Amino acid sequence: MRIRAAVSATLASVGILLVGWQSGSHVSPTAGSSIGTSAGTAGSTGKSAATGGASGNSSGASSSGAASGTGTTGTAGSTATTSSGAATGSGSGTYAGSVSQTRYGNVQVQITVSGGKITDVTALQLTDEDRRSVAISSEAAPLLRDEVLQAQSANVQTISGATVTSDGYLSSLQAALDAAKL
Amino acid sequence: MQPSSELGGSALKARTFDSMGTVVSLTVPAGALPRTAGGAELDELDEAAAAVERVFAGFDETFSLYRPDSEASRLARGELSLRKASAGMRDRYADALSWRLMTEGAFSPERPDGVLDLSGIIKGYAIRQAGEVLRGRGITDWCLNAGGDVLVMGSPVPGTGAAWAAGVVDPQDRAALLSAYELGGTGPRQALATSGSAERGDHIWTAGAGGTEFTQVSVAAADIVTADVLATAIVAGGTAMLHRATDGWEIDVLAVRRDGELLATPGFRA
Amino acid sequence: MNTQLLTTRPEVRRSSRGAVNPFKGQHRRRLLRADLLTVLFWASLAGAVALWLADGGAAGFSTPAGAFTALGIVAGLAGMDLVLVMLLLAARIPLIDQTVGHDRALEFHRKLGKPALYLLLAHGILIAIGYGMTEGLDPVSEAVNLWVQVPDMWLAYISMLLFIAVVVTSLVAVRRRFPYEFWYAVHLLTYAAVLTAIPHQFSVGGLFAPGTWQRWYWLAACIGTGAALLHNRVLEPIVATTRHKLTVSRVVKVAPGVVSIEMTGRHLDELTGTGGRFFIWRFLAPGMWWHPHPFSLSAEPLQLGASGSLRITVRNLGSGSSQLVRLKRGTRVAIEGPYGLFSTAARSRNHVVMIGAGIGITPIRALLESTPFTSGNATVILRGHSEKELYLGKEILDLCQRRGATLYHLTGRRPDGVETWLPAEAARSGYRLASYAPHLLEADVYVCGPAAWAQNVLKDARAAGVREDQLHYERFDW
Repeated sequence: MRIRAAVSATLASVGILLVGWQSGSHVSPTAGSSIGTSAGTAGSTGKSAATGGASGNSSGASSSGAASGTGTTGTAGSTATTSSGAATGSGSGTYAGSVSQTRYGNVQVQITVSGGKITDVTALQLTDEDRRSVAISSEAAPLLRDEVLQAQSANVQTISGATVTSDGYLSSLQAALDAAKL
Repeated sequence: MQPSSELGGSALKARTFDSMGTVVSLTVPAGALPRTAGGAELDELDEAAAAVERVFAGFDETFSLYRPDSEASRLARGELSLRKASAGMRDRYADALSWRLMTEGAFSPERPDGVLDLSGIIKGYAIRQAGEVLRGRGITDWCLNAGGDVLVMGSPVPGTGAAWAAGVVDPQDRAALLSAYELGGTGPRQALATSGSAERGDHIWTAGAGGTEFTQVSVAAADIVTADVLATAIVAGGTAMLHRATDGWEIDVLAVRRDGELLATPGFRA
Repeated sequence: MNTQLLTTRPEVRRSSRGAVNPFKGQHRRRLLRADLLTVLFWASLAGAVALWLADGGAAGFSTPAGAFTALGIVAGLAGMDLVLVMLLLAARIPLIDQTVGHDRALEFHRKLGKPALYLLLAHGILIAIGYGMTEGLDPVSEAVNLWVQVPDMWLAYISMLLFIAVVVTSLVAVRRRFPYEFWYAVHLLTYAAVLTAIPHQFSVGGLFAPGTWQRWYWLAACIGTGAALLHNRVLEPIVATTRHKLTVSRVVKVAPGVVSIEMTGRHLDELTGTGGRFFIWRFLAPGMWWHPHPFSLSAEPLQLGASGSLRITVRNLGSGSSQLVRLKRGTRVAIEGPYGLFSTAARSRNHVVMIGAGIGITPIRALLESTPFTSGNATVILRGHSEKELYLGKEILDLCQRRGATLYHLTGRRPDGVETWLPAEAARSGYRLASYAPHLLEADVYVCGPAAWAQNVLKDARAAGVREDQLHYERFDW
């Protein structure tokens, strides 16, 4: 019960009992104990905890430094000297990102770009400069169902699909393929 | 134990096991296995499958959040700080963060409550390492499928250069195939991963504001981790992420929109 | 385990900071009404005792016999007051329903059952002792004496037996899950118990003697309670039934054992905003008309021109619901309602989290359709053993998509021996309600599903720091 309700209920009840008692007291002023009007303990005033701010999207902050900053790239292949850091040119090299703070500690990420493609993300540093300078190799475009490579389960050796659980495996196409090869 | 699947005169053999909440299948062409001294070919297949299973079990033990004693669980509970975590854990975390940067947040190693959850990339790493193990055993023609994510090497018909044909499930009818993609052989792509906006069995999906445009996304790449992460990222990030992915990585993509419409790169075209 | 995808949605951040909360006023008024009801309850109890004090009753304590009698009278007054409060709580009075909701009103109703019975028993025993001492008789002889010699007292004895029967059987019935019909029949006895108790209150003892103002107060309390019952439980339903003229238009199979019943009727625009609230339905077909079904709307009522439509989605739960599958088109439907607070009327915050399990998903579907929220501020969690049990899943996905709500499907078995509302895998991975709903503390949390499951959800929410006034739940196992 909320405090306001508890206090008001107690006051009202006691008031009513007192009025009743007073108006009856001319008959006899004996001490009459009132029946329990105590309202029980009141609940604590709500502690509205500051909202859990930690939620997942911290990436926005950390990525902003690295991403999309350098518009100066272009495919000027002639200047072949690969300066370290934000290099223009053919887009090869290793790039280090700023230190980003996460709840698990400070992390630095690094990528290796070769021939304009990201080839490695091994170390702890990253930038993604120069990705835009890469010629578009294959763009996805809308197409009709019969325009994609058609297949029947009879002539494929394996099946790719959204993850099947162990429970769901038995009824999956992959299970049928596997069963045929035991 | 009767080989029953015939393909160009060469039969395929498969072994399966349970791991990471799904089923992993290892398929090899009969005759492609180096015979162990005095051992039959099928023994070698069983041993190879056991080795692959050990790789998966190792990753599961460290990274599974549903094993209370795993390193990932202790990290999630705050009993362990990342600084004191194993090198493997730190590396995977750094990888996951770099993927988050590269996908501009579409892929994230954290759950909505901020708990670190590396399961999104761990399956890919397990598959990759299992592939290394197979190669290390001298097996050069194989197909590894972990819950719908596929990595291959070589060919289903050893020596011919023929590619492995991987079917892509139709999200509208999971008993049918939507398309196929040729992996391995002489081609540049060995890995194919598919993510859905309604993945099964799990705390499953986020259809958020501006959310899942795609019900299913398949990505073919040279590397299984790249394929897996980008498929996941495109489901989360929609068309914008799809274009960023095809711009920045050498991949093929087949994406299924909610209304059934398809988007595909040339590699998926007939 | 699969990837936990995060959808990027920057607009969420902007809207959640410093936004105006449109539900603030409504929430403040509801809390005020709740406090008012609390005060009224205690005041009524104090009032019952004050009646006796004002009559100089306290003087009775000067002798031992008088003290027994006085306490007996006080117990009787308080007991009868509780009985009247219980009846009012069950009377579906709009003020109570829209303040605490039908479920919490009934919860309080059940809580009062035992205290009321104890007070009434104490009343009988103490009076027998007190009167007996005055007259030099032992309590049993005095009780017989009262029965034989005092007019109306035999009715009071019958009343007492009926009260005992009602309370004992409802306690047993709740535990053993007797059919709804049995429970209903027992509750009809309550009216007989109350009616047979009334005569002796006015004819025996001087408190309510003709000409006293106490008599008028007590009469008003009894008649007011009866009128509230008659109005809300008999007249209003007849009016609603004849005004809306509902007939079954379609019965659609949703899943094995689950059907959506669509009805057409008139003036359904008057029911706008009731999606998620429940009605008590009677399908006027042979063998079914007498069976009342409490079901929530599974879609917002629709009114197009002269005719509109309503929809409920029900699972074959008991003997009564199995017939619903075979309902014929054109069957007329009597309704009582809408009742309950499972609606926008309960909103207090900007964010909203809706959690449904099994057939309890259906009111969530209706609520999701109508309750206001900014895109990104709502989370919907559906729980079932399998995808097949996530009824209306497709519709809910479409609604989430259109309105910008985040949707989770949680399927799979519960872990053995662990109290959780989650599937085993999620529970083992340490997921909690807050894992799915990061804005839990700023949200209204609606829960609908089997009682034991719902309690686990509520426990999770409370542990996360969600306050009681943010929690809105509907029982769904009757």
